[in-house]
Amino acid sequence: MNETVRNATAREPILEIENLSISFFTRAGEIPAVMDFSCTVMPGEAMGIVGESGCGKSTVSLGIMRDLSNIGKIVGGRILFQGKDMGEMSEAELRAVRGNKIAMIYQEPMASLNPAMKIGKQLMEVPLIHDKVSKEEAYSRALDMVRAVKLPDPERMMRSFPHQLSGGQQQRIVIAMALLSKPALLLLDEPTTALDVTVEAGIVQLVKGLGKQFGTSMIFVSHNLGLILETCDRITVMYSGEAVETGSIKDVFDRMRHPYTQGLFRSIPLPGADKNERPLVAIPGQLPLPHQRPKGCNFGPRCHHFVEGLCNAAEIPMIPVAGHDGHFSRCVRFNEIDWAALPPGAKAAQEPVKPGTPVLKIDDLKKYYRVGGNEVFGGGEGRVVKANETISFEARESETVAIVGESGCGKSTLAKVLLGLETASSGKVVLGNKEIQSTGIEARDVETVSSIQMVFQNPFDTLNPSHSVGSQIIRTLEKFKVGRNAAERKQRMLELLDLVKLPRPFAERMPRQLSGGQKQRIGVARAFAGNARVVVADEPVSALDVSVQAAVTELLMDIQRKSKTTMLFISHDLSVVRYIADRVVVMYLGHIVEQGTTDQIFSPPYHPYTEALLSAIPIADTSVVKKHIVLEGDIPSAMNPPSGCPFQTRCRYKSQVPGNLCEREVPPVRDMGGGHQIKCHLPQSAFDAMEPVISLGKGAAPGAHDITPEA
Amino acid sequence: MQIEYIGGFQVFLGVLARFWPVWAALAIVLVASFNFRKHLGLYGQLFDSGVGIAGVFICLFWMFTAIFATRIAPFDPLSQIPVMKDALPGAIEPTSKQIYLFGGDKLARDVFSRMVFGSQIVLIIAPAATAFALMVGITLGLPAGYYGGRIDAFLSFLANLVLAFPVILLFYLLVTPGIMDTPIPYAMAGVFFLFPIIFFVTLFYTRFKARPERLYLLVGLTLVLGGWVYAGLVFDADPLGIVSIDPNQLNIFVAVVFASSPGVFRIVRGLTMDIKTRDYVAAAQTRGESPWYIMLWEILPNARGPLIVDACLRIGYTTILLGTLGYFGLGLAPESPDWGTAIKDASRLLRSFIHPALPPTIALMSFVLGLNLLADALREQSMKD
Repeated sequence: MNETVRNATAREPILEIENLSISFFTRAGEIPAVMDFSCTVMPGEAMGIVGESGCGKSTVSLGIMRDLSNIGKIVGGRILFQGKDMGEMSEAELRAVRGNKIAMIYQEPMASLNPAMKIGKQLMEVPLIHDKVSKEEAYSRALDMVRAVKLPDPERMMRSFPHQLSGGQQQRIVIAMALLSKPALLLLDEPTTALDVTVEAGIVQLVKGLGKQFGTSMIFVSHNLGLILETCDRITVMYSGEAVETGSIKDVFDRMRHPYTQGLFRSIPLPGADKNERPLVAIPGQLPLPHQRPKGCNFGPRCHHFVEGLCNAAEIPMIPVAGHDGHFSRCVRFNEIDWAALPPGAKAAQEPVKPGTPVLKIDDLKKYYRVGGNEVFGGGEGRVVKANETISFEARESETVAIVGESGCGKSTLAKVLLGLETASSGKVVLGNKEIQSTGIEARDVETVSSIQMVFQNPFDTLNPSHSVGSQIIRTLEKFKVGRNAAERKQRMLELLDLVKLPRPFAERMPRQLSGGQKQRIGVARAFAGNARVVVADEPVSALDVSVQAAVTELLMDIQRKSKTTMLFISHDLSVVRYIADRVVVMYLGHIVEQGTTDQIFSPPYHPYTEALLSAIPIADTSVVKKHIVLEGDIPSAMNPPSGCPFQTRCRYKSQVPGNLCEREVPPVRDMGGGHQIKCHLPQSAFDAMEPVISLGKGAAPGAHDITPEA
Repeated sequence: MQIEYIGGFQVFLGVLARFWPVWAALAIVLVASFNFRKHLGLYGQLFDSGVGIAGVFICLFWMFTAIFATRIAPFDPLSQIPVMKDALPGAIEPTSKQIYLFGGDKLARDVFSRMVFGSQIVLIIAPAATAFALMVGITLGLPAGYYGGRIDAFLSFLANLVLAFPVILLFYLLVTPGIMDTPIPYAMAGVFFLFPIIFFVTLFYTRFKARPERLYLLVGLTLVLGGWVYAGLVFDADPLGIVSIDPNQLNIFVAVVFASSPGVFRIVRGLTMDIKTRDYVAAAQTRGESPWYIMLWEILPNARGPLIVDACLRIGYTTILLGTLGYFGLGLAPESPDWGTAIKDASRLLRSFIHPALPPTIALMSFVLGLNLLADALREQSMKD
């Protein structure tokens, strides 16, 4: 990628980690978090560390910083930074390195900034402490850096407090702070996970650009393979505390030599995956707990290439892959495995489901909130937040309609109105043949309540931690008047556990004894308990690990297929949407800006916002060529929306519409044919001129490489 | 008549010996708890830390002292043996040959026995008053936090009003004879004691609405038991004659509940506001649960951690409050052996004799310390999950 930089500065590595082992010492004894981890980062190079939660990727980055709290300890191996062993450095030497030569960027920008200090002062601290420069010099350096991270109005930024900035702006400040000391190595620990996709795209571009500009080496820790592909030169895949595969991006993505890496790629929806013809393949089982790791290969119990006596005989070292430069795999069998074969038990193609009659009709729905003003003493003009504005769409039986949009677009409000947690300000919602828009949940009859249900986003929040799993399902059945007595309900509860593929003894367990994926399965069981006709799934898999995501997604679709349920799938992740949805509704600031079938949405003409959203999604496929469209600025607040078209403040086509029309009028809904609707002022010629955002480059047909080998 | 004394070391041994039922009970309970700590949930986890063991030890010590008081105390706490007036620790009472282990006070009563019996008063009133304050605070705090808006503003205003009023002045007012003759204390008791009944009836009604057989049983049981205790406490009209309370104690009880329930209210309100944003609350709403079901069965169980910690600290606080009341001579009878009154009595002669003041002071201090240690350990444990 940045070959030139590397050649110019290729001397000795910036960072060399040799057989690093880190353990945490708790009451329960020693818990190894990282074992035998090695990697090298050359000057100007970006190394990605990818893995699921609990695999030790963050511990590695904290270990490099030697910031392991008081219970973490490096128990083996060494870390050489610019040729010096960090283990032999004194505290004072370490302090001189931290934040100066090695800088770190964390996940939560708000938590990284001191809320009581102005941005300028926080930034100036870095040169003041590390370079001992004068205040004026520090100020001018800070200001330059704020400019370099492309923040608008740098002087004003310097005078602001962190809470006055948006999440994306905060993260840019954190990056500026990290770069102020001109570090040789930058550690980024999930720097964009807390941000919206279009904002994330901006940050990613910035980080890449700055890396080139300053020649900084980077370690990029993420769970998102797509992001790693966009930012890094080399990648290390971690599993259960070990690096299982490392190599160049090209090798690992296209010629992976570890079954876990392959499993990861098979469980994420890439372009070309299709819920009917080519379903996702989930990795069976779950991550072993640190003190229950098996002997030999940690991935053994979940691997379908597992051979007794070979894989679990002894600890497996990193084995170089012949013919690949710098490619290592922690697998003893990688030369024997047929990398193109699908795992046994992978699902074959299924018949697409025929959507039936419309079940849910939403017509011109509006939801306004009044905010501000004091409840008792009155006073203060209440302002109106237009959370939903003229929402109209239909969902048919056994159809999956995806509602796509970033935070603040009104998708959660829409879900609340549908479920009766809020009532609509105007417009109609028809479920079956009943109007439900102004019936709050308490006024709804049992049948209506049970026929529209929800799967929640956060698996750690979706179950009440105080009640057993079984009793929570039984309570739902009780409320939905399923079964005549306790025994019948118990029977039905056990059947529901079967349905979501959980063992029956789980009924007795408390939610804290379940993993995230299992909790989400219970959430699914609860939603389908009363034979729901419409299930609203609010980002049901976004908080889960990649390998679990695939399993839960498949489960959700299986049940939907069998029970002919309509699913409203709320998501911000267009890759998942493309895979799962039949039709897509794109929302921005309370408006539906585009809707149509999945094919219509993913191919031109696009609404300018959809185009940007598509381009912002990181795709973990080296053969995909993407147009890079980075939106300026942040999403406007729903409290204070722009006049006219909601998207006009960030739209790159605005100049093509004459007479400031975008700023004055909300665009009409235009029918592009075949039910494809776009809310935009652009002339037809502009739509016709649009090119696809995502294309499979190099003339490759979808799935022509190792990842989807059966094509 | 010359009083004979035993030495300091013998006093020490004597005290240890008098407490033998407590040691026996402690040994049984602690050893059993320690061995089965893995199966005892939160209580069992207390045995993982030194602080927790110390807290449990001290609290259980006073609990067993209260239970076995008649067996431990060698003398009646109210009986006066004139010859023992202001006797020093270790004095041997001439007739019975029993020993005044901690000496005698100015009315020639046994300080040790009074300290032991004083624990009974504290250990009955403090936890019970805290329990009632919890009931009141929870029943009002849940709707305030859950509904917000006007209900919250109104209830919070009331709570602030009570909190803003000087506590000691409030007690003076509530316990003065003038007020005691009015029906105000009984009316307040009538209101406060209604809360547990309302609480449990709502609790069972919301849960078992769809299962009448369980509902009638539980609600009936609540009403019968609650009504019985209510009649006994508030109207002193217990048909069986078992439940009754001294008007003085009722007064103190009401005053303590009144003063500490706003604190519980605020904690519950805050916790409710936090927990109501969770997805499982939304899930309950979307399946059509009633607000009170959500408050009592979805929110309250998850607020239990902080509430248990708070209850421990609050019992300690109430103990100190009872001491303060006794010290000011409010409420309890002047000859009552409770620690606060004992400290007051002893303080008058502090310059001449220090020994009558020390035992009740140390008892009060150690019990509150034990509760605070317990609360600390509980907090520590609940943070670990």
